[in-house]
Amino acid sequence: MAGADLTNERYRRRQRVWDAVESPYVVHLVLFLAVLFIVTPLVWMLLTSLKTRQGVLAMTYLPLEPTLDAYSRALIDRGFWRAVVNSVIVASASTVIVMVLGTPAGYVFSRYRFRFDNAVFVFVLFTRLFPPIGLVTPYYRIVSTFGLLNTKTGIVIANVYLWLPLVIYIMRNFFITIPTALDEAARVDGCTKVQAFRHVVFPVVLPGFAAGTILTFLYSWREFLFAFTVSTDLQSMTIPVATFLFVGDAGIDWGAMAAAAVVSVIPSALVVIFFNRYIVVGLTGGMKG
Amino acid sequence: MATEEYGSDVGPHGGGVSGRISDWVNDHIRTVLLGPSLIALFIVFIYPAVMLLWLSLLNTRGFGETFEPAYNYGRIFTDPTFWNAVENTLVYSFGSLFVSVGAGLVIALALNKLTADRLRNTYTTLILLSWAVPLSIVGVTWRWMFNGQLGVVNRVLLDLGLLSSTFSWLTTSSTAMGVIILADSWSRIPFAAIVLLAGLQSIPQEMYDAAKVDGATSFQTFRNVTLPYLRPSFFVAGLITWMFAFRAFAIPFSTTGGGPGGATETLAIYIHRFGIQLLDYGFASAVAVFLVAVTLVVAAGYVYFILERMEEIEV
Repeated sequence: MAGADLTNERYRRRQRVWDAVESPYVVHLVLFLAVLFIVTPLVWMLLTSLKTRQGVLAMTYLPLEPTLDAYSRALIDRGFWRAVVNSVIVASASTVIVMVLGTPAGYVFSRYRFRFDNAVFVFVLFTRLFPPIGLVTPYYRIVSTFGLLNTKTGIVIANVYLWLPLVIYIMRNFFITIPTALDEAARVDGCTKVQAFRHVVFPVVLPGFAAGTILTFLYSWREFLFAFTVSTDLQSMTIPVATFLFVGDAGIDWGAMAAAAVVSVIPSALVVIFFNRYIVVGLTGGMKG
Repeated sequence: MATEEYGSDVGPHGGGVSGRISDWVNDHIRTVLLGPSLIALFIVFIYPAVMLLWLSLLNTRGFGETFEPAYNYGRIFTDPTFWNAVENTLVYSFGSLFVSVGAGLVIALALNKLTADRLRNTYTTLILLSWAVPLSIVGVTWRWMFNGQLGVVNRVLLDLGLLSSTFSWLTTSSTAMGVIILADSWSRIPFAAIVLLAGLQSIPQEMYDAAKVDGATSFQTFRNVTLPYLRPSFFVAGLITWMFAFRAFAIPFSTTGGGPGGATETLAIYIHRFGIQLLDYGFASAVAVFLVAVTLVVAAGYVYFILERMEEIEV
């Protein structure tokens, strides 16, 4: 088959094009353009945040007199610093709860057979695939019934719904990669089942646990829909909501909005830069069965 | 809970109360480790989901609520803005699917060509940056860049001589949809690229060696080895991207708010408009049930794929 194709003129032409496409120059050009596309909006936000009010209106590319004025307008005048504190609390609390609940659950799914185990696992996947927008309206009612509107607790509960199934799924996939012989050896050495999990298997799965933690933190950090539904005041509002509300003003202070955006991106950008390995593992680990 | 009266008992794992407890835990390990998660999911998922079904049966238009099971479901298909929202959602989700998976594939193939780990790591990190940006901030960023008066996009196009006067991207129906699709893709490209890269890296080297021995050209190798092996990853990246874009709320809402004149109103924004803004939560719930039904048909295929066909991915 290959031989017959080679005699074909069309195939040879394709091959020449392909060789050009595969050259290192093209590879680097593609990656350069991709990075340019990804980074430009972020750089533009950063540049805007450093401009004076007049500089923003003058539409210059670079801030002519770089100033941190927009940051003080956003963080102090508009009280955006509260949203930063709220976001740190909400994301940390959500992450701790979700990881503490989800890790043992993922372990059980990786190790034990029980009645309806497949059905229960499909239920977990189902909650993950259920569109969150569907729960916003009932959620709003429930949260207001229990007096949790405008509280961080209300947002944390939503995050548990959003990320617990994901973490159970990811952790199960990590536990599956660890041979059950390890648990058995621990049991032979006199460990209880809980001890085998805690002291023998868990330490081995620590990189997976780190991946789950980082993913959950980033997802909780950037969650918008539920946080926006639950909170309308700065006492409980998280960063994505507070930044969005800048847009609602009559005369939008684009500089302050850009500053808020930069503040919200810095923590997640740092996490990506320092822990990208775990994120890659987590994103693809969530895919495997 | 065990009390003092058990104090004299001695279990096989040490003495006293803790022995009793640890025995019990040992015998009920699945309940102890899995139970809390299931209880939590019951409270945070089942309870609101059942309430969603209940609300969808209530007439909440105007004052109070009355039980009229068919009312909202009948309204869905007669509301003209509903079909508009369905159409927008399809354009948006498929647009985002093609752009993100297409660009993701090109990026994954390029990353896979790099032999230096460190270089590949640097590129991956830079590309992952957009994934980390909160979606509402993606929205306000693109809103700012495509602003009709002060947007940098107009500025660049004017400077390059491609535009003679400023253009209102977000108040023109067709371009507004284009902008939100591009914004959505911008935030999804890293995910698609990483899933496809993982797929590329799982292709066994022997397959390439064998192709070489057979005298296959690099194009033939790409077509007959790389693409077939990549199919499961395509499936996963495509389905997830589509499903998440189909229910997308944050990006369209924060970029255009559904405007101009409903031109970018997706189903999620539609549900939010009725449920939260107009307080007609009965109708919003019925539409949500419709959206859930559609996604779950697709999701069922996905779950089936994961449970039954996963071996293929790990070839």
